[in-house]
Amino acid sequence: MKTGYFIRQSSILAAFSATLFACDPSNEAPQPYERGVLVLNSGNFFDNNGSISLLTRTSDTASTNIFQRVNNRPLTGGAQGYAEVEDKGLILVDNSSAGLDKVEIVDARTFKSLATLAAPDIENPRAVVKVGAGKAYVTCWGTVGQFPNFFVNPGYIAVVDLTQNRITKKIPLQKGVEGLALVGNEVFITGQGDENLLQVVDSQTDAVRIFMTGAGSATKSGIDLGGNAGTLTLDANNKLWTLVGREAVRINPQTKTIEARLPVGTDPRRSPGNLTLSGDRRTLFFTYTFYDAADNYKQKGELYAFGINDTSIPTTKPVARKVFSGLGFDAESNLLYAGFTPSFKQAGYVFRYQSDGKLVDSVKVEVGPSGFYFK
Amino acid sequence: MGLGVSGKSFSQKNPGPPTPDSAITHLREVRVLGFAPERFLTGQKSQPLDSAATEQGRYQTLADWLGTQAPVAFKSYGPGQVTTAGLRGTSGVHTAVLWNGVNINSPALGLTDFSTIAVAGLDRLSVQYGAAASALGSGAVGGSLLLQTLPDWTPGWHLSLGQRLGSFQNHQSQGVLRYTTAPKHGWQLSGKTAAYGSWQRNQTPYTQRRGYPVEPSETQQRGFLQDIFLKNQRQQQVSLNLWLTDNRATLAPADPVGRELLRTQAARLLAGFETKGFSVKTGFIRDVTDYGKGATSETNPSRTVTDRWLLRAEHERTFTPGPNRQATLRLGAELTHFIAQVDEYTGRLIRENRADLYALFRYRASERLLASVNLRQAFVTGFNPPPTPSLGAEYRLIFTKKNSLSAKSSLALSYRTPTLNERYWKILGNPGLRPEQGFNKELGAVWQHTARATASLELTAFHNQISNWTYWNPERGYRVENLQDVLARGLEVTARWQRPLGKTTPGFYGQYALTRSTQQRPYDAYSSDIVGKQLPYIPRHSGTATAYLQRGRSRFTGQLQAASYRFVTFDNSQFQGGYVLVNLLVDTALRLNRVEGRLSAQAFNVFDTLVLSVKSNALPGRSFAVNLTFNLFSNPI
Repeated sequence: MKTGYFIRQSSILAAFSATLFACDPSNEAPQPYERGVLVLNSGNFFDNNGSISLLTRTSDTASTNIFQRVNNRPLTGGAQGYAEVEDKGLILVDNSSAGLDKVEIVDARTFKSLATLAAPDIENPRAVVKVGAGKAYVTCWGTVGQFPNFFVNPGYIAVVDLTQNRITKKIPLQKGVEGLALVGNEVFITGQGDENLLQVVDSQTDAVRIFMTGAGSATKSGIDLGGNAGTLTLDANNKLWTLVGREAVRINPQTKTIEARLPVGTDPRRSPGNLTLSGDRRTLFFTYTFYDAADNYKQKGELYAFGINDTSIPTTKPVARKVFSGLGFDAESNLLYAGFTPSFKQAGYVFRYQSDGKLVDSVKVEVGPSGFYFK
Repeated sequence: MGLGVSGKSFSQKNPGPPTPDSAITHLREVRVLGFAPERFLTGQKSQPLDSAATEQGRYQTLADWLGTQAPVAFKSYGPGQVTTAGLRGTSGVHTAVLWNGVNINSPALGLTDFSTIAVAGLDRLSVQYGAAASALGSGAVGGSLLLQTLPDWTPGWHLSLGQRLGSFQNHQSQGVLRYTTAPKHGWQLSGKTAAYGSWQRNQTPYTQRRGYPVEPSETQQRGFLQDIFLKNQRQQQVSLNLWLTDNRATLAPADPVGRELLRTQAARLLAGFETKGFSVKTGFIRDVTDYGKGATSETNPSRTVTDRWLLRAEHERTFTPGPNRQATLRLGAELTHFIAQVDEYTGRLIRENRADLYALFRYRASERLLASVNLRQAFVTGFNPPPTPSLGAEYRLIFTKKNSLSAKSSLALSYRTPTLNERYWKILGNPGLRPEQGFNKELGAVWQHTARATASLELTAFHNQISNWTYWNPERGYRVENLQDVLARGLEVTARWQRPLGKTTPGFYGQYALTRSTQQRPYDAYSSDIVGKQLPYIPRHSGTATAYLQRGRSRFTGQLQAASYRFVTFDNSQFQGGYVLVNLLVDTALRLNRVEGRLSAQAFNVFDTLVLSVKSNALPGRSFAVNLTFNLFSNPI
């Protein structure tokens, strides 16, 4: 009887607590993800709560956290990049702790996880691009240290074979490898690790191209960009663009030479970012931001654009007056998608603009919308 | 005069479960000079933590153990990693942690990392709910945790040596020696020396749980406590308390480049003298925090050193104007000098003086009515927090031989001096910050039943408005501002029951808390998504329960710890799931003359429930521990 009382008392309590504490807000039903706009949300870095939202071109609401919905587990880090190779998608996942980064390979239609490529092969993945049938390159920093010795290890490209869902090779490159662009059979790569190189890798042989420096037999594994660079993008003239410091740099991928260095604006406090091409690949959009010391360090900035044949980049007529955390251009609807992050502790928004800067609408997505993939 | 028997009143007020005989039992007889400051917080909820449970948790950290005893909202960064504790819908900086009456929160962070505090060597712990700044000072906004070490005046000595072996290669060793002389020439000495060391390696056989990574980490911890109390027949007492802690938490220990080391060390020394209503306390506390990453994490870390020098003088008078009437007035003054040397501060060396003046008054007006009025004024270099009064009363509506019913209520202002980081951090700190200010109101009722069964039930409602809440504002590059106003309110139920049935005594105690804590004031265009939403990491429902069966020297205990889902974002767009954790503990003791062997087998999270850290990594699942303790007594027991 004593024990009976004890058990009865405990089980009532257990049942009560099960109902009270185990009821979480419910999720909506999953749906196929064949078409639309994938929004890459970085999440808050130490919360490891990045996610991917899906926005259809006509809807003003987003399906949130689609990877979690389908796979019943989260990305476990920021959504750093996304690319599709035939019917598969590669999601780059950046966790705040060393050794927990990964690439999730998903069915591009259903978002169901097919394989996970994990550390130590994947460490600080930065960008991904399709380089051939069943083949993708992922730039990785490797394990990083602490400022000022942040980039301790050489960067590398993880070569992913999508037919086997595995990493076949690691191509060692400059420190802090970052942006990637495929031109013909050549992949161009920028870096953030103060080696300032634009490197070139043959996508068929995975060989790193060696450049003569002119003097005697000295060689270099890339051409000098004069600074760290990020995203690379290929315009309608088949020229590559990237931002180096406060300049937009135009590169001829055929001759591997720098054709132009255009100063962006004139404000020394500001820096350009998020260089993004329009659908016709003739206009480049960019953010231009700073923390205003005169206004208690409030972050300020606007969105500007210039043409690929322009010879200067004035910042007199903003396309939009907001500080954006990511840009993307949808060729199909001819709209600019701009991610806005009020703070990394609340959901952000995607603003849709026509090319002339006319606002179409805004849609709430998730934390830190910073990249887009249009399909 | 002024002799509060707080040990005794504790056991009368809270007829706790019978303690398995141990050093803890003797504490019931302890007499301390003067009232503990929380005794002036009439009308507010206080929870002395169960001594049997404290004994069961003696090999754990406060981060691991306290959650089984009180509805605390922990923010844990991982096993053995930084864990902060918020009470009643507030955050870690709103929880004052006091050791022997002195605030030990890190002045740089304004909070205590509960993973660095071991239960070992502490004699009494209690949770004080709600604002208590008038009696306890800065930071007692949402609640306070009071840690005490106490003398034991029974002559003799007692040596306790123990070892814990746990899952995942998590082990702890400890030794405690207590000694008390027989009274000689009117003087008596009581001392305690305690040391412990643990190595938590977290070698889980899995690297992820249900898709969430388990972050590789390990923590080494050691501590040393030394207490000396010397008293004479004239009720004069000299006390000396030393507490050293050293905690090394390493992330990614196997990765020489990505490895991160957080070392948290503290040295705390107090010396006190009390005589006939006067007491003087002086202290020194040094907190050292080192953080480093990669190869130079040990040799070239970023360092924070803060020193505190403290001097406190108090005078207490007790008057007895008539039968059942007693008034106690305590006047106190405290001076603290802070010296901070922080690599990441502008100026690097910061010196700051703080002073407090306070008057605490407690009046028992009749058998039914008890009231208190307190006032504190703090002074800080550069700015002064506002005067902080509090007012409280308890009224016994019914008291019969078996039952009593009391109503209680309190109104209290509170404040929190901004932390040194908030004011002096390079670029981001804001020396012009104002102190946060709280206004706490609470109303409660306590029913107590004392017969063959003892039982109590306490209901409390609270409403705590905190203004000038500081916020590292991302819109301004994470510079600190007094941006938010938070309203925390809720209901709490505490129940306790025990009844001997033959040779067996079953018992139960539990707590349930309903907490709503919301940001009230819009501060930018997008804060409308945040206003009125539950603050992150604060579950709306939380509870703990312990049920036990005591028979002879054996005890079977079930613990339950539950929390509903917690949002991780201010706009409540993301959450971590709710959980119910169940622990099962079996303790038994074997005695032979002066030696006692105590064996405890513990199973934690028996249903392997998934709990996430604030980094969204999985905490390790089900685990087991065996604790073996040998107690050797000078006198036969």
